[in-house]
Amino acid sequence: MPALRIGLAALFLMIAVVVQTSVLPNIAVAGVTCDLVMIVVVALALSRGPEWGAIAGFAGGLMLDVVPPADHTAGRWALALALSGYVAGLVRRDRSAGPVGPLGVALTVVLSAALSLLVYSATGSLLHDPAVDWGEFGVRLGIAAGYDVVGAIVVIPLVMWVMSRVVPARERQRVLP
Amino acid sequence: MLKDLGTPARGLVRSAALPREIRRRRTVLVLVILASFTLIVLDARRSAGSPVEPLRHAAAAVFGPLESGATSARQPVDNLRDRFAEVDRLKAENEKLKADNEKLTSDLRTTDYARNRAAELDRLLKVAPAYTVTPARVIGIGSAQSFNHTVTIDAGTADGVRPDMTVLNGDGLVGRVVRTTEGTATVLLIGDRNSTVGGRLSSTMALGFVSGRGEVAGTLDYKLVDLRARPKVGDRIVTWGSKGNAPYVPGVPIGTVTSVTPNQGTLGSTATVKSFVDPSRIDLVGVVTGPPARPPRSTVSPEKGR
Repeated sequence: MPALRIGLAALFLMIAVVVQTSVLPNIAVAGVTCDLVMIVVVALALSRGPEWGAIAGFAGGLMLDVVPPADHTAGRWALALALSGYVAGLVRRDRSAGPVGPLGVALTVVLSAALSLLVYSATGSLLHDPAVDWGEFGVRLGIAAGYDVVGAIVVIPLVMWVMSRVVPARERQRVLP
Repeated sequence: MLKDLGTPARGLVRSAALPREIRRRRTVLVLVILASFTLIVLDARRSAGSPVEPLRHAAAAVFGPLESGATSARQPVDNLRDRFAEVDRLKAENEKLKADNEKLTSDLRTTDYARNRAAELDRLLKVAPAYTVTPARVIGIGSAQSFNHTVTIDAGTADGVRPDMTVLNGDGLVGRVVRTTEGTATVLLIGDRNSTVGGRLSSTMALGFVSGRGEVAGTLDYKLVDLRARPKVGDRIVTWGSKGNAPYVPGVPIGTVTSVTPNQGTLGSTATVKSFVDPSRIDLVGVVTGPPARPPRSTVSPEKGR
């Protein structure tokens, strides 16, 4: 069971990386694409908790860091998504007496988008990457957060449903709506 | 009833958040953060050969074919986008055609002059147009929120593509190759803030540097070496080529000057350049892999050719 769960999570992350780098840029809004990997990390965190969020975020971010066309210092997305995943997992822990509602999910996605972009840009600034432009940061974060909520409407229920199929029976009543 | 169901669940949560579990998940968080920082530190000193490089190669080997396959699924997406953009596009095209018509009419009147000038420019630039170009397709695009203006192309070392090669398409200069693997290569676009290209005003032959602004539209800044030289709106900029033709070959069109502002507090002026290549619409590109051309050898003289 755990092996199946880990395999499914890895599969989701890999699909998200491929789609985010090759397909989604073609429907970008002002150049900003949907952070599909971040959404999958949030979905995994919401269904399995902070440890899963942090580890899934690290793995997904690492893939974003090394899969072409990435050209920045490796580890920046890994750190950003690990922190977002952990925080998203905490949201579910605090409210797991009931399922996280749609509004809660949307807010979690926005929070995670803001946190991950902030960490990613801040590490870039620390490393003196001239590409980071704080003047554009607000606008791009706004568009990205809006776009991510739209993407999350489709992706999060799907991932959470699949993950809920493979939880042990004794955990079901706790996680399932 | 609902309350009865709710109570044991609440109890379970309490028990789930035992100090031991909290400690465990904090350990996981700390480990993951430490791993990220280790990666950043290892990869930050690039000159010494990053240990992350094999990882990048492995990732490109696995994800390159996947990205290539996923790009084939782009057609329906493109159609959808085009349908929305159709009316705007037709309007814009109509205006463009009208403008083109006027321009062509006036060009027809000055064609001899233009031909002479073109011949002169050709001679001055000493462009040898005998580049061998390896065609490639764009299979991955960096997103704006990561501030990366890079793309992946589906040609690599197996096709003779090496780092520091010029990438162009039918419209003009696209960028340069920064990293290659067996089957893919990463291209830094000229619109990236890390990119600087040597550019020459084709009207006055003045030399300058074109640097990216990191904007989605691919707007560029142009600064002249000669502080007295003034670029004019509508001037075209071509590459002047680098030593040994790496990373840029000479004579590739970059863009047109759209506005000129005097520098604050210092001599000289900065021109805003619109690149010929629309960075959001690049698909088929060519990598210059062929026989090197001689770099241009004319001197800087702002008066020449006016």
